[in-house]
Amino acid sequence: MKKILSAAAMLALLQLADSCKINEEFQAGLTPGQIGSGNASSLLDGAYNAMRSPFQGATQVFAMSEVTTDERLMPTRAGDWDDNGKWRALHQHNWDANHPEIRDAFANLGGVIFAATDVLRPEFGATAQQQAEARFVRAFAMYWTLDLYDQVPYREPGELVVNNAKVRKGSEALDYIISEVTAIIGTLPNTPAYRANKDAARCLLMKCYLNRGVYANRQAPTFSAADMNQVISLADQIISSGRYRFATNYFDNFAPDNTNIGTENIFTELNVGGVSSGAQYDLWRFISHYNMTPQGYNGPCALPSFYDTFGASDLRRGQVYKYTNGPSNQFNHQNVGFLIGQQYYLNGTTKRGGLDSALVDRTGAPLAFTRDVKIIETGSNLEVTGIRPMKYPPDFTNNASGATDNDMVHFRLPDVLLMKAEAILRGGTGTTAGSYGSTALALVNSIRTDASRAAGALGTVDLNTLYAERGRELYLENWRRQDMVRFGKYLGPIEQGPTSSDPKYLIFPIPNQQLAVNPNLTQNSGY
Amino acid sequence: MRNTCYSTHQAYEQPAARSALSGKTLLLALFLPVLGHAQTAREVTGKVTDNTGAGLPGVTVLVTGTSVGASTGADGDFRLQVPATATSLTVSFVGYARQTVDITGRNTVTIALKDDAQALGDVVVVGYGTARKEDLTGAVSTLSTKDFNKGTFTSPDQLLQGRTSGVQITQNSGQPGGASTIRIRGNSAVTGTGQPLYVVDGVPLDGRSARPGLNTSLGDSPDSNPLNFLNPADIESLTVLKDASATAIYGSRAAYGVVLITTKRGKVGEPKFDFGVSGGFSNIMRRIKVLDASQFREAINYYGLDPKQLDLGQSNDPLGAILQTGPLQNYNGAVSGGGENGRYRLSLGYLDQKGIVKKTGFQKYTANFVTNAKFLESKRLGVDVNITASQSREQLAPITNNGDFRGSLIGQALQWNPTDKLYNDDGTPFVRQGQVINPVAQQQYYNDNARVTTALASISPYYKFTDWLEYRALFATNYSTGIRRTSIDQRLNIQDYLNLGYAAISTTELQTQQMTHTLNFNKKVTTDLNVNALLGYEYTKFNYSGTNLSGRGPVSSNGTPIGFGTYGLDYTNYLQYSNPSGRQISSFVDPVTELQSFFGRAILNYKDRYLLTATLRADGSTKFGDNNKYGYFPSVSAAWDISQEDFLKSKYESLSQLKLRVGYGRTGNQEFPAGSARSQFVFQANNGGLVQTTNANPNLKWQSDEQYNGGIDVALFNNKVTLTADYFYKRTTDLLYPNIPGFPAAPGGSSVIWQNLNGVIVNKGVELLLGVTAVDNERFGINFTANATFVNNNVTGLPNALIIQTGTLSGQGLSGVLAETIQNGQPLNGFYLPTYNGINPSTGLYNDFTAASYVGNPNPTTLAGLSATFRFAKLSLITNFNGVFGNKIYNNTFNSVLNVSQIRAGKNISLSEYQGVKESLANAVTPSTRYLESGNFVKLSNVTLSYALGDFGKVFKGASIYAIAQNVFVITKYRGFDPEVNTNKAQGVVPSAGIDYTGYPSARTFTFGVNFSL
Repeated sequence: MKKILSAAAMLALLQLADSCKINEEFQAGLTPGQIGSGNASSLLDGAYNAMRSPFQGATQVFAMSEVTTDERLMPTRAGDWDDNGKWRALHQHNWDANHPEIRDAFANLGGVIFAATDVLRPEFGATAQQQAEARFVRAFAMYWTLDLYDQVPYREPGELVVNNAKVRKGSEALDYIISEVTAIIGTLPNTPAYRANKDAARCLLMKCYLNRGVYANRQAPTFSAADMNQVISLADQIISSGRYRFATNYFDNFAPDNTNIGTENIFTELNVGGVSSGAQYDLWRFISHYNMTPQGYNGPCALPSFYDTFGASDLRRGQVYKYTNGPSNQFNHQNVGFLIGQQYYLNGTTKRGGLDSALVDRTGAPLAFTRDVKIIETGSNLEVTGIRPMKYPPDFTNNASGATDNDMVHFRLPDVLLMKAEAILRGGTGTTAGSYGSTALALVNSIRTDASRAAGALGTVDLNTLYAERGRELYLENWRRQDMVRFGKYLGPIEQGPTSSDPKYLIFPIPNQQLAVNPNLTQNSGY
Repeated sequence: MRNTCYSTHQAYEQPAARSALSGKTLLLALFLPVLGHAQTAREVTGKVTDNTGAGLPGVTVLVTGTSVGASTGADGDFRLQVPATATSLTVSFVGYARQTVDITGRNTVTIALKDDAQALGDVVVVGYGTARKEDLTGAVSTLSTKDFNKGTFTSPDQLLQGRTSGVQITQNSGQPGGASTIRIRGNSAVTGTGQPLYVVDGVPLDGRSARPGLNTSLGDSPDSNPLNFLNPADIESLTVLKDASATAIYGSRAAYGVVLITTKRGKVGEPKFDFGVSGGFSNIMRRIKVLDASQFREAINYYGLDPKQLDLGQSNDPLGAILQTGPLQNYNGAVSGGGENGRYRLSLGYLDQKGIVKKTGFQKYTANFVTNAKFLESKRLGVDVNITASQSREQLAPITNNGDFRGSLIGQALQWNPTDKLYNDDGTPFVRQGQVINPVAQQQYYNDNARVTTALASISPYYKFTDWLEYRALFATNYSTGIRRTSIDQRLNIQDYLNLGYAAISTTELQTQQMTHTLNFNKKVTTDLNVNALLGYEYTKFNYSGTNLSGRGPVSSNGTPIGFGTYGLDYTNYLQYSNPSGRQISSFVDPVTELQSFFGRAILNYKDRYLLTATLRADGSTKFGDNNKYGYFPSVSAAWDISQEDFLKSKYESLSQLKLRVGYGRTGNQEFPAGSARSQFVFQANNGGLVQTTNANPNLKWQSDEQYNGGIDVALFNNKVTLTADYFYKRTTDLLYPNIPGFPAAPGGSSVIWQNLNGVIVNKGVELLLGVTAVDNERFGINFTANATFVNNNVTGLPNALIIQTGTLSGQGLSGVLAETIQNGQPLNGFYLPTYNGINPSTGLYNDFTAASYVGNPNPTTLAGLSATFRFAKLSLITNFNGVFGNKIYNNTFNSVLNVSQIRAGKNISLSEYQGVKESLANAVTPSTRYLESGNFVKLSNVTLSYALGDFGKVFKGASIYAIAQNVFVITKYRGFDPEVNTNKAQGVVPSAGIDYTGYPSARTFTFGVNFSL
């Protein structure tokens, strides 16, 4: 008996000894030690994918850059789109430091900075090019953080998040971004557009130099000729590479297959249809009516005064876009650009009473989008008010799975041309590069008169016409707020928005949530 | 219900029982030969029977306080010479509660023993062992089978509802098998579930269910109940440890209280077969009032809408069309018995309960085997083995917690135009293309079946070195696996699945392994001092893993949908046919969590009136940060039984008990995801790269709860009136919180850093429990038990700028809206909403709202329960009421589903809002106090009528028949289905409270049954 007991006791003690060391073992995730070196390319992919959160879709950076401007309105339509007034607050410039989109954009831009910084941890052994790409991604996210919030928090590679992140502000942050991009540009590859490349870095530097005066003084920016000549010189390098040309169709740049046919695109975020993507489908889902195909949530629209800046022949305003795997649209109804008037069932079969059937709204009234719209719609036609901008042709094949193919576009050739033209108008010296001319007028007309736009040549170009052209060419591409600030238009009047808003709105507030956890941040003045 | 801190009002327990023998004396008495004594003065004769009246042989009958005694004969009769001074006899028998009877002036007595299952009179299950009830110093409530709620239950927690003070149990949904929310002494969960720790026969449970979750375009499905694997019929007792002096022995997992579940075991005696069968049905308890077809037609005119569009000519009841009267059947059989060397009990159970929503239901198969064997001549070595195997099968409806504008099945049924058709002429469900979904189509074109198989096995060998020193080990494994298959027919007009169809298969595995060693010392060290001490070590390991596969139907090469087809097969049966684009494959394995603990306890009893208990537990957890691997959880409590003092004992004879208790203790909570303290990189879907997802915090530790308790137990008139009152003060600090990290930090919307926040949550209050036995004699019995709990909940000390938001509202126009906050000076999860100022009668538009502020408390301030038992001869009637007061409920259903603006899109609206001021259809769905309603209610939760047939011929013993109604009615102003509701509207891991969103309606259930033994 004693033997059995002592054996049992031994067994128990052995178990004790074994279990005294308790360890948390990761089985589906990795510690930094488990990653080791040689896996930096996966980490870099993770950093690129992190960009989808702040940039893709129609929220966060998009909402802050477009809904606050004269390009986009997100009206409250009775039961729809109230969302506690957050969209109205953006358009009417009365947001505060708890605004959810402002909060989320700050966090997700910070996520990109962090993921890119992780690639640089020495123990992961990233190659020179991988490090350069990571530093570009980080600089790109820092640039947007600077542009929106004027304060850029950062961490050293491997630094624990329990430490308070250090912060660079305003011009100091800009100088850092410029020095980073300048340092890595030589190590970046030439292509493809969906990875950090030399021309993307040049575009980012152009934005930095063009807006340097803005970051120094947002209310009364001044522009130095040296900065403008930097913009022009960088533009010329991009143009001279010969890698970019106008697309056959303006909307090809945004179409599901834009990885291949978007020949103007310099820097994009890659989405792979049916495999993985960000929420870029929101560009059609938000605006589509419930009864349209693809079905949507019947929300945002364009403002009539902005719509009116387009000439009738301008193909960018809207056209019939033919592409594979979409509805047949055999009666050639306009399906991209600004949707106005009666909408149709584009598969043209037998949906509601025969071929080519006109759609109705949920009350049975014709689904005919009207020009006029108010920020709070109360009329009986509240479902159909507002012109709906369909900038990204929907990916019908993959819409259901949510992994849609349309790459999200950051930088395009026309933006480079328009920035060069603006730099010339702001005191830079015109130069000849490519076939686009050396004057602001020539540069602008090279875009307008291309067959893909067919907008007709302008007689003269000044800053005001250039500003309007930027609106027409780049609408809903996240640049409107930045442009309005630089051109002094952001404080109003804005249709359905403020007639004149407080200058504090030139910079977004640091989210209260972040102020609470990082004492190195200070609230921007006025909030 | 009965609180074991005091001797109860139960009639069979006579006052003298309190001066009872210690367990040791009893044991000695059992093993000593019965000695006759010389100073015999008189003879007492009698009979000892069981509760059915059958004589019990071999029962020890002793003159109380002496070793003078006798054993009963074959028919239970005994004959005993007692000293002249003797006033009572003590009767004891293995498997039965010891009983003391008065013999003053009597020479013949009949004693009916109650078995342990009914009694648990003297010994109470506490953590890692038992203690004499008299020795308890903490706030502990024990319920045994007779105290349980009666009726049809899918899990044992429902047996407790309304029966104990300080415990709030809310069924989250009417779905059979659905989870419930349990709050012991208020709400202190800033994160996690806030659910108590369940311990089944010494094995603490993981607390999660292995049923895989489901996320479709319609939202996330509600959780399943983790206790579903237990058969309520196998439960002998439920003990709720409420204050920290009782729970601290469970250390870092005990902060939300502990519920000890003890299963039935065999009793010494002839093999016995117990059988119970019941059947019944359920229907909806209460409906939400929406417009019927004629009211809908009126409303179309009233709002000036086009009848040609909206009046579709029929008169239907869409909600009625998806509901049914759900039948139920329940069978339980158990064989038990044993001798001195071993006892056994084997039980089998089968429950089949259909829901009140068609195509929903719950089926459960359970088997439970318990054996207790003793070895060696000395019987010092023994082993207890306990095996539970069960499988539950759920058929689930598409009723989610957070459905979008298409709602869930209930939302669709409430919204469907009552003039629109539900069926095509051929009987198939009608599908109207567009946004609205016919609930009948949704129901018919949706299949969701889950199966959870659980095995809980433990073996516990022990060795008694001496009568007062015992070593015991416990080795246990709890393995649970779930599989869920879900498909959505391509004919259903959900945009993402229309013409394609959807199929998903998920599995999960959940395993807990445990090893416990304890050494127990229980000795009278001096004449007046008894010491009951415990030392222990425990090691537990948790594993959780799962997989998920899903896909949509195929498309042709030009992108035209083909879909899974309409072959009548479940789409999950041929998932390979799906479209490779958008197929989802994922798997996960949580980091293994290990928990290592050392603990000890001492209970000192001096002169049976001064009691002191002290415990200490040290817990090491792999989940904690490197700098805080171990936590220490002490407790101390004391009690003084004043009624044992001579100065009271002699003076106030009507006072049966007066006991004062005080206690203090600290417990912890470590409910946060494993791996949160360290940097973790995970692989993203579909070549998505590798990215850091957790933000390391090496200082992360447990959340700390300190609790003070003061109580008094009073019993009067031979326990005919009993009162227990407790005051508690529970202070929760070092709040575990997934704080927003200071960015830059790990990317992703769910990026958090788990921290111990500064902040204090205080729950304080009073619990009262009153028992009155008004009449108790052979023919009549009238018995009342009432309990009430008053709780106050408050948050202080959070960092000033921090306002934790939660309470996600859902539905059209409510994206990203959060209705609750956790902030200083307010109760946890206080509603933070704009104030509704009515409607301008001339325009029908809203008057301006007052800006958002704190507008209400979702936590009840008062809980009450009342149970009345009436017995007339063999007929008895039990009625249970429970009520909840002082809380608000946010009616998200009325806000987003039934607001009047929906009618312009041809959807139904609520009757109450249509009947008010004529409201403009352009009003936004602005969340506001308009939808914040009082949660006060009183519910007749249970009526049980039973008739004890007794023995039935020679074969059937102890037969009884009964009829039970559950959820009979509810008195409330709340406009939803049931004010007893808690939809999970968590924001991330921060739970919500008191929000109702298109949940599964509550059922009223009728059960008829018979029990008997062979």
